[in-house]
Amino acid sequence: MSELRFEGVSVRYGNRRRGMTAVDRVDLTVPDGAVVGLVGESGSGKSTMARAAVGLTPLSAGRILLDGQPLRHTSGPRPVQMVFQDPYSSLDPRMTIGDSVAEAVPRGMRSADRRQEVARLLELVELDPARAGAYPGQLSGGQRQRVALARALAARPQVVVADEITSALDVSIQGTVLNLVRRLQRELGTSMLFISHDLAVVRYVASEIAVMYLGRIVEHGPAAQVLGDPQHPYTRDLLAAVPGWGSAGPATAPPGVAAAEPADPHAPPPGCRYHPRCPIGPLARDDREVCRTTEPTTDHRHATACHFAAAEPLLQVTGRPA
Amino acid sequence: MTTSTTLDASAVAPRRSAARARWLAVLRTPVGAGAGLLLALVLLLALVAPLLWSGEADRIDTSDVLQGASAEHWVGTDALGRDVFARVLVATRLSIGLALAATSIAVVLGLLLGCAPLLLGRRGGRLVTAGVNIAVAFPGLLLALFFAVVFGVGMTGAVLAIGFAGAPAFARLSQTLAAGIADRDFVSAARIAGVGRFRVLVRHVLPNIGEPLVVNATIGAGGALLAFAGLSFLGLGVQAPSYDWGRLLQDGLSGIYIHPVAALAPGVAIVVAGLAFNLFGEAVAKGIGLTTALGGGFAPGRALRREETRRRAAAADQTPPATDPGPEPGRPVLDVQDLSVTFPGAAGPVRPVRGVSFRIGRGEAVGVVGESGSGKSLTALAIARLVEQPGEVTAGRLRFQGADLLSGGDRTHRRLLGTSFAMVFQDPMTSFNPTRRIGRQLAEVAQEHQGMSRRAALARAVDRLRSVRVPAAERRAHQYPHEFSGGMRQRAMIGMGLMGEPSLIVADEPTTALDVTVQRQVLDLLAAVRAEDDVALLLISHDVAVVGQVCERVLVMYAGRVVEDLPADRLRTGARHPYTRALVAAVPDMDVDLDQPLPVIPGRPVDPAHQPPGCAYAPRCPLASARCTDEDPALADDGTGWRVACWHAGEVAADRDVPGAAPVALALGERA
Repeated sequence: MSELRFEGVSVRYGNRRRGMTAVDRVDLTVPDGAVVGLVGESGSGKSTMARAAVGLTPLSAGRILLDGQPLRHTSGPRPVQMVFQDPYSSLDPRMTIGDSVAEAVPRGMRSADRRQEVARLLELVELDPARAGAYPGQLSGGQRQRVALARALAARPQVVVADEITSALDVSIQGTVLNLVRRLQRELGTSMLFISHDLAVVRYVASEIAVMYLGRIVEHGPAAQVLGDPQHPYTRDLLAAVPGWGSAGPATAPPGVAAAEPADPHAPPPGCRYHPRCPIGPLARDDREVCRTTEPTTDHRHATACHFAAAEPLLQVTGRPA
Repeated sequence: MTTSTTLDASAVAPRRSAARARWLAVLRTPVGAGAGLLLALVLLLALVAPLLWSGEADRIDTSDVLQGASAEHWVGTDALGRDVFARVLVATRLSIGLALAATSIAVVLGLLLGCAPLLLGRRGGRLVTAGVNIAVAFPGLLLALFFAVVFGVGMTGAVLAIGFAGAPAFARLSQTLAAGIADRDFVSAARIAGVGRFRVLVRHVLPNIGEPLVVNATIGAGGALLAFAGLSFLGLGVQAPSYDWGRLLQDGLSGIYIHPVAALAPGVAIVVAGLAFNLFGEAVAKGIGLTTALGGGFAPGRALRREETRRRAAAADQTPPATDPGPEPGRPVLDVQDLSVTFPGAAGPVRPVRGVSFRIGRGEAVGVVGESGSGKSLTALAIARLVEQPGEVTAGRLRFQGADLLSGGDRTHRRLLGTSFAMVFQDPMTSFNPTRRIGRQLAEVAQEHQGMSRRAALARAVDRLRSVRVPAAERRAHQYPHEFSGGMRQRAMIGMGLMGEPSLIVADEPTTALDVTVQRQVLDLLAAVRAEDDVALLLISHDVAVVGQVCERVLVMYAGRVVEDLPADRLRTGARHPYTRALVAAVPDMDVDLDQPLPVIPGRPVDPAHQPPGCAYAPRCPLASARCTDEDPALADDGTGWRVACWHAGEVAADRDVPGAAPVALALGERA
C-alpha cells in the first residue's frame, strides 16, 4: 500500500467568468496504511477531492502523487479506487453482482481463476459467494455497499477513497459496513481517504482527521488530537453540533453568528473564509479585522488555518494508526 | 440517508423476471392487449399473405377491369383486372418490410450518432451533438424528399431517405438517455475499474437504455410506414411492377370517383398497421413508465391527493387489536387509534402501517423513530390526509383538535388543517414551487385559509419569515426558492406552517438533508416555536439522538407498528423493547469505544408484503422465543403511559445464543 499526496490541488468547475473553485490549493497527505477522515459540510469540496483522486474530475492546478509519482490514469484498473455514496446507483441494476466485481479484476486471468477471485472477494466482505449470480435489486443497501467495497478491492488498489459510504444506509446496518471497513483496513493495511459529514463515524474509522471548509483544509491532525483539542473554530462548531445525549439547549452563539448562512462557494469571502460565521472572529470581537482581510497561514497546531489558533509549530503527523 | 418509504417489494423479485413481468403486464391492459393482437396480425399477414394470395393478386383479367366491389372481388379490380383486395393483402409484406428496414437504418444510425459522444471524448462529442442538433431542427419530410432526389427515385432511395430522415430524432433520444446513464455512479465505478469506453457502452449503457429505445423504435416504425406510403403515393417510392400500399393508393385514386373502395382499402390498411405500431409502442411506454406506481406513489412533496378515508369495519381484521392509548389529561391535539394504510400489491394488499395508536397532548413533542420502511413517514402522511391513491387509510379514530377527520369530505377539514396543522418535509427544495417567490407562496396560505387581502397576507409572510429568523426577511420574501440555502428553505417551510396558528407541527425528517451545524439551528428553531406558542410537535426521524434531544416522548416503529412508546429521557438506558435498545446502541456517538466493533442489528427489516404471523422483529431479536414467532404481542400499557409490544419486554439478552446477535447483546450488557 502507498502514500497518496495532494499538492496544491485546485479543481474549478465552469468557465472563467462564471464558475466556482470547489477545491482551492489543497495539500493533503494520506500516509501509507493510514485512514484519513475528511469532514466538512456539503459544498466544502470533499467529494470533489475524491473524484479528483480517482481521475473523474480533471485538476485545474497542482498534482496528485502516489508514492511520489504523479498519478496517471492509463488503461486498466486504476491504483486509486473509490466506493460511492449511494449503493443504489453505484451498481449496474442489470448486471449480477459477480459480474460487477469481476469487471474490476485485472485482465489477463482465466475465467475459472476470475470466478475464484470473485468468490474470494465476496467472502472477504462477508457475503455468501453463492450469491454472485444475484442482481443488486435482490440485496439490501448494506449488502450492496459491501459489493461496492469488494469491487473496489478487486482492482488491487493502492489507496481506497470512500465517499460518504454510510450516509445512504440505515443506522441499523451502517455499523456492519463500518466494522467491515475497519477489519479490512487492519487486515490489508489499505491506505484510505474516508469522507463523511458524520464526525462520530469518522472518529470510529480514521486515524487522522482533516477538516475542510469551502474548498480549503482548515485543520488536520491525528484523530484523537483534533477531536480532543480542536483548534479551528469551525472544527469546534462541528463538534458542538453533533447530536448527542443530554447536550441539548440552545447554542450560546453571538447574535449574527447563530443566524449566519453557509457561505456561497461561488463567491467565497475574502480573508479567512470562515469569518462570516466565526464565533471568535470579527462578528464577535471588533479588534479582529484581520480575519476579513488576510488569509490565515497554517503554521499552528494541527496545521490549523486560523489567525487565533494556538501558535504552535506544525506537529509532525506520523500517520500510523493509533 | 434518504427516507425511502418505498416498499421494496419490486426489488425482491429477480431483475430479469421483473422485466418480463413488466412486459406481460403491458399485454394485460386492454389497450396493450388490443394493440399487441393487432400488431401480431399485421406481422403474420406480412409473412403469409404473399404465399397465399400472390397468384390472385397478379392474375390479369382484361375482361374485368376497373370493376366495383362484388362478391368475387370484394373491393373491385384495377386497370388490369387484378383483384385489389388480394393486392392490398399481398402488399403488406413490402409495406411493413420497407418500414422496418427504414426504421432499422434510423435506429442503427441514431444509436451510432447518439453513443458517439461517449466514445469520442469531450471535444469530438460536442461536435457530434451539435451536428445532431442541427439535423433534428431540419424538417424530416423535407430531408426525406431531399434524400429521395439524391439516391434516385425508387425503393432503395426511399428506404435510405426515410431511414436517414429518422436518424436524428433517434440520435437525440439515445444521446439523452445515454448521457443520463453515463452520469450514474456505476459508470464512474466501471471507468475507475479500468473498463474501456467501448465496453462501458456495451455492458453498462446500452442494456440500461434498451427499453425506451425499443418502445420508440416501435412507434418510429409506425411513422416510417406512413412516410413510406406518402413517398410511394407521390411516386417517389416503390415503382411498378412492385407495389406497396402507397402505390395502390395512388392507383386507386385515379378511379376514386368511379369506385372509391379501391382507394379506401389500401388507406385503411395503412391506418390499421400504423395504429398497431403506435398503440403498441404507447402501451408499452405507459406500462414501463408506470412501474413506479407502488414505490414512488407516496413520496411527499409531489402533487398530493387526498384520498377517501373510510371508517374501518370493526371485525374482519387479522392484526391484533391495538390498545387504547390510555387516558390523557385534557383534550389531546391529535388522537389516533388503530391507523392503518393499505396499498394494493401484486399478491394481495400490502399494509405498511398496521394499527398505530397514539395521542399528542397540547404543546407536547413526540418523536417517531425507526428504520426506513418502518412506516413512520407514511403514518405522518396518513394523519395529514396526504396518502395518494391507490393507498387507503383506515382508522378506528382520527381526531385532530377534537374534530373527526374520518367523517365528512375534504372540504370540511381543509380550513382546519390549513390553519392549525403544519407539515415540514425532508427536502425543502421540492416542497416549494421553484417558479414563485417565497413570500408569495407563504402569503397564499393566509389568502386561501384566512381570507386575508394580498397585501396583508404578504405582510404576515414577512413577519413569519422574521419569526423563523430568516435574516433580512423583507428582501428575502422577494427571492425565489433556489436563492435560499437548504437551512433557510427549511426555515421558510416552518414559517409557512406558522402562517396560520398551528397547534401541531408534523416534521418528517426535517434535518436529514442538512449539515450538522444547520441541523442544530433548525432543531433549535423548532424548539423555540414550540415554546412560544405551545405548539405540539410530531418529529419523525431516523436519528435516535436527534429525537432524544428534541422530544419528550418517543414512539418506536417497526414493520408498520408502534413497538414501544416511552419517555425520551429513558430512551438511552431504560428502553424495554429489544428493538429500541438495538436501535439506540447502533448509533455511533462521540464516546463509542474504538476497540469494540460497532453494535449492529442483524438481518434486514421485514418486507411489508410478507408479514410474519408473530412478532415482526422476532427473526432479528436476541430474545426471541417460540411464542414470539407464533403470536404477535399487543402494545401493552404499564399504567404510566409507557407502552411496549414485546413478550420479553425488559429482559436482558445475557446468555441466549442467537447467532449474529452477539454484538448487540454485548453492547447492551455494557450500557445497561
